[in-house]
Amino acid sequence: MSNDQRDPRRAPIGRRRFLTTVGAASAVALAAPALGRAQAREVKVGYMLPVTGPLAFEAQLALNGLLLAVDEINGAGGIKSLGGAKITLLPGDTQNKVELGNSEAARLIDQGVTALIGPFSSLVAFSVRQVTEKNKTPFLLLATVADNVLEGGLHYCFRMQPNARAMATLTVSNMMEMAKNAGVAIKRVAIMHEDGNFGTTMGNHVEAFAGKMGYELVQRVPYNLRSPDFTAELSKVKAARPDLLVISGYYGDSKIIAETAAKLRIGVHALVGLANAAYSNPKFIADNRELTEHLFDGNYWHNPQSPRARAVFDAYQKRFSSTMSNHGVQGYQVLYVLKDALERAASTDREKVREAISKTNLTDHILTQDAIRFDEAGENVNATPALLQVQGGKPVVVGPARFVEAKPVFPVPKWKG
Amino acid sequence: MAGRLGPLLAVAALAAVPPLLPKYVLEVLISVLFFGYLGACWNILGGYGGQFSFGHAAFFGIGAYTSTLLFLHLGVTPWLGMVAGGILAAAFGLFAGYLSFRYGLRGPYFSLVTLAFAEMLRVIAVNWKAVGSSLGLVVPNRGSAPVLFLFADKLPYYYVILVMALGALAITRMIERSRMGYALAAIRENEDAAEAAGVDALSTKLAAMALSSFLTALGGTFYAQYFAYIDPSLTFGPAISIGGLLPAIVGGAGTVAGPLLGSFVLTPISELTRAVLRGRAGADIMLYGLILILVISFLPNGLVGWFRSRRPAAGRAA
Amino acid sequence: MTWLFLQAVVSGLLLGGVYGLVASGLSLIFGVLRIINFAHGAVMMLGMYASYWLFVLVGLDPYLSILVTGPLFFVLGMLIQRIVIEPNRAAAEHNQLLLTLGVALFFENLALVLWQGDFRTVRVWYSGASFLVADVLVEVPRLIAAGGAVLIALALWGFLRTTDAGKAIRALSEEPEGARLVGIDVARIRGVAFGIGSACVAVAGALVTPFFYVAPDVGESFNIMAFVVVVLGGMGNFLGALVGGFIVGLAESLGAAFLPGSLKQLVVFGLFVIVLLLRPEGLFGARRGR
Repeated sequence: MSNDQRDPRRAPIGRRRFLTTVGAASAVALAAPALGRAQAREVKVGYMLPVTGPLAFEAQLALNGLLLAVDEINGAGGIKSLGGAKITLLPGDTQNKVELGNSEAARLIDQGVTALIGPFSSLVAFSVRQVTEKNKTPFLLLATVADNVLEGGLHYCFRMQPNARAMATLTVSNMMEMAKNAGVAIKRVAIMHEDGNFGTTMGNHVEAFAGKMGYELVQRVPYNLRSPDFTAELSKVKAARPDLLVISGYYGDSKIIAETAAKLRIGVHALVGLANAAYSNPKFIADNRELTEHLFDGNYWHNPQSPRARAVFDAYQKRFSSTMSNHGVQGYQVLYVLKDALERAASTDREKVREAISKTNLTDHILTQDAIRFDEAGENVNATPALLQVQGGKPVVVGPARFVEAKPVFPVPKWKG
Repeated sequence: MAGRLGPLLAVAALAAVPPLLPKYVLEVLISVLFFGYLGACWNILGGYGGQFSFGHAAFFGIGAYTSTLLFLHLGVTPWLGMVAGGILAAAFGLFAGYLSFRYGLRGPYFSLVTLAFAEMLRVIAVNWKAVGSSLGLVVPNRGSAPVLFLFADKLPYYYVILVMALGALAITRMIERSRMGYALAAIRENEDAAEAAGVDALSTKLAAMALSSFLTALGGTFYAQYFAYIDPSLTFGPAISIGGLLPAIVGGAGTVAGPLLGSFVLTPISELTRAVLRGRAGADIMLYGLILILVISFLPNGLVGWFRSRRPAAGRAA
Repeated sequence: MTWLFLQAVVSGLLLGGVYGLVASGLSLIFGVLRIINFAHGAVMMLGMYASYWLFVLVGLDPYLSILVTGPLFFVLGMLIQRIVIEPNRAAAEHNQLLLTLGVALFFENLALVLWQGDFRTVRVWYSGASFLVADVLVEVPRLIAAGGAVLIALALWGFLRTTDAGKAIRALSEEPEGARLVGIDVARIRGVAFGIGSACVAVAGALVTPFFYVAPDVGESFNIMAFVVVVLGGMGNFLGALVGGFIVGLAESLGAAFLPGSLKQLVVFGLFVIVLLLRPEGLFGARRGR
């Protein structure tokens, strides 16, 4: 993958650009509010992603989705109700730091963006949402899962993807349902999760469902994602003899956990990722064919039945020479939610765009769900994660029933060994 | 003459200009003052006393968590909570300091032990449900409530951190001219010689530790109120420890204005490198790292030290 | 329960060998230069990328890549010391520490610019190899890494004891003033020490690539742990660091097996603080250390 895909407006950084940028940095910021209205032929949209720092890899995948959608929209004549105005993406890098989230958001708002997309990490979202609320700027969350980000009566904040609760509920219930159909009882569940906000939230849900869903949580192991070895943790899990091992983690840690679990003959019916950054990631699967076969993952996904999704995947493959990941799908789709709102608002006015987003009823999308609609809090009421399984080196949808591509292989013989 | 007028003009400008600034510049200024404040707190122990703490995040986190927990559970206004947090942090500082100094840890050993204390607190916070574990704590902010340290606008926060930063500088200046200041400087230059000359090194260092940790904790409360969210890695993580010591050293460790000056240089540099190299992930921080190396190499005594060396006559006085 | 204990001990020891080699390099640098090198993890990361690329582009096995990366990183280490650290020898101790922090920032983000944030893996035929001894899992690449780390550390230790350069390094580490008086070229030896330290950590990086992953911030997985190990072994004590590595590996692994939550880190840091306070010269040191 070459570097050129990172920024649509990227030019070689010459001396001239350096000088103009340095000189203009403060001046632009000062004059920015005026600029916002000056050009009706473009719609400025700011993204804020941690493209440097610990989440750089995942953030880049999401950014690729945004870039793909923007070029597609602009290539097809821009926003029609705005006289074919083109969308201009203004970049922001949070480095996964809270204070940068704030200043980047303020900078983008000063530069006259109509809406903001981001910021990936929930930690950063908590403070950015204050900036967007105070400045009455629509804020479309991307990849942010923490349940309580939308609490507190926000008006300008929307979330297209499932939140942690939806993700955990549907993944676990899909798994239980599948087990019932297969005539296998799941009584004992174990979870390993990274010990940050994301993993802990997932762990809490899986623990809370235990009573309701009729299983016992026999082991819950939070871990530091930088740890270079998980053998002891997995041995603890193995000793608890679970039927199912759920794993909520990022890429590197999840890789090592799956490898060690295999070698340790962990002895479960299945290994299930929960919003796992690796287990349905095409690159991970391609790099680890044997290991990943028949892994499950509950994650946000695209609708495999949709012809449009197929076209989007082809376009992505052509442009980035890799298979589109679920983060790419989210980036792509969230930009179309905004596009749809812009068309209906026929304005770049933030208030009108907010109004339009809140009335979204988008059926032409590539997700595994019914129409995209937002409730009072800004959550997508129909957001549904898919249950995936790697089959033949490809993640396929095995639940929910409406979107199923293939029958699940369950129990997975190799994990039972 | 100019030496007196300069700072006054600077303070006047800092007080008068911000209402006119765009949001972005205001955010950056708040960042500058915030890290300048942390630098000033660190400076009391690290700059003047030569005790190079690498774990001031411990005190910062204690401050942020104490005031926020008191606010969320008991409704105590963070204005009071921040004092409570400061006292707790000072107590912890005395504890950690007593252990370290009592056992004679100096130089890199002291740095490492403070780093370890901060990391331990982080791990404890991650695993402790009652303080929110990794889910962190959200400070509910529904509009303006000055009594509760909540403002609808950014500007009041700016003035709060401005007063805090200037206050920290004023305290530093008082210490510099006090007996404690001389004792600290003597310890920094040569602890054994200082003790031989009758300086009570242990209690002097402990006093500096307590004050430094008390003030750092206040910064934690500011952070919680301003960013409205805290979690273990944000508050107890190494980023905060480094964020405080870096401006102090770049500006001039052991000088009154150094930390703030350092922050006024570092934060804009990081904003500029990001603006220039935007869209090429990593290039900006790479450049920042390079600039950091150059600044430390060519200004070994910080910005203040550099100014002084250019005005040798005036420099000796302070 | 016995099984869990045995498994934790075995995997702790296997991890400990790698910690030991990483920390030996750090300890050597500390002994001679008296600075905490925050760039150590970043150098390891670069070493891992070097092995990765040698594998991908030339098909060189990661273990054999040591023959290339070892000397290469020895030179890199010398260059870092010569260009960045040595000119600032006269400056305050903490300035040098910050310099290494700047170097770390620079390297980590250089990697991000050059190779993006992708996680890369080296899959060699033995990557997945493992065997069971009485139901206890032993992963072959981890075993090789631990064994290799110990061998290399011992070889270097022998080097330090027998050769002139090695003796000079030890002299400088133990009696800086004396070393200067007997006419040792102090600046050169400091460069050599930084070079050897960097080569050690690059080799450690090569040893872990078959079972780990490579990414710009991967060094952080080993960085803080290496500080802990160095203190346990006694700062500047090369062999002590190797033993310290095993202690930390064991503590971590047993903590993970028998403590709730992610508290295993607490054990390690607790151990660290206790040793710092009670035996700052390290568990095996006899001399001054403060």
